[in-house]
Amino acid sequence: MFKLEEAISEWRRQMLSAGIKSPAPLDELQSHLYDEIEQQMKSGIKAQQAFENAVTRIGQANVLKGEFNKIKCKAVNRIMPIILGAIGIGVGMGFVLPAVALYRSHSVVSGGHVSLLIFGTALTLSGVGAAASVIFRRYYVTRKLTL
Amino acid sequence: MLSQELVAASTEPLILWLLSAGENYGYALRQELKRLSGDKIEWTDGMLYPVLHRMEREGWIASRWGQAQNGRRRKYYSLKKKGRKDLRDQPEQWGAVSGVFKQLWKEQYV
Repeated sequence: MFKLEEAISEWRRQMLSAGIKSPAPLDELQSHLYDEIEQQMKSGIKAQQAFENAVTRIGQANVLKGEFNKIKCKAVNRIMPIILGAIGIGVGMGFVLPAVALYRSHSVVSGGHVSLLIFGTALTLSGVGAAASVIFRRYYVTRKLTL
Repeated sequence: MLSQELVAASTEPLILWLLSAGENYGYALRQELKRLSGDKIEWTDGMLYPVLHRMEREGWIASRWGQAQNGRRRKYYSLKKKGRKDLRDQPEQWGAVSGVFKQLWKEQYV
């Protein structure tokens, strides 16, 4: 005798063991599964067949996991240049500020300090550029290209 | 049925359009699209939810867990300000694509 609740619990266990660990997507998929089963049963399909059809429609756990992982990867790819940019600005300013402070207190800067100042400024500008390019792409270019 | 690429390209704007009528949940969005397209466009379940989650992360839509009439929990999605703003540009963009196709069709076959 087919028991729908048990079959759904087993499906959920399989999803969990296949790597969909986060409860939120799984709860949502389970809700979707119930809706699909209900819809099919309304059109006269028996519970077991409706369950099997709905599970097939939702797809295999590894495929779903891959789709959800794509979002995580995109988010990391987007945030990484901003983090690297911020580190660049921080490290760059770490070279620039001491050189500026030295110049203000002694009115003289050695060749070594000039090199550090140039290196720090380049690093800071690179950081600003990396962060700005991500922000520009996100708010202007993507909007224009997205259909 | 539409090609997979065209379905993928149109999913986000279609979700925005469907949600402009009011908050809704994933399954109902899929069914509504199926009905409106005369069964020509259908989202796979494995594609719909990652897209909804991405759109939520991008700040176009918001979600909340609610309770359906049958007592089960459901996740409802609604448009956010950014999504409404993006939606305003969509008719012009899709109109441009459609216009080019119509023009090409006219020039080649009329």
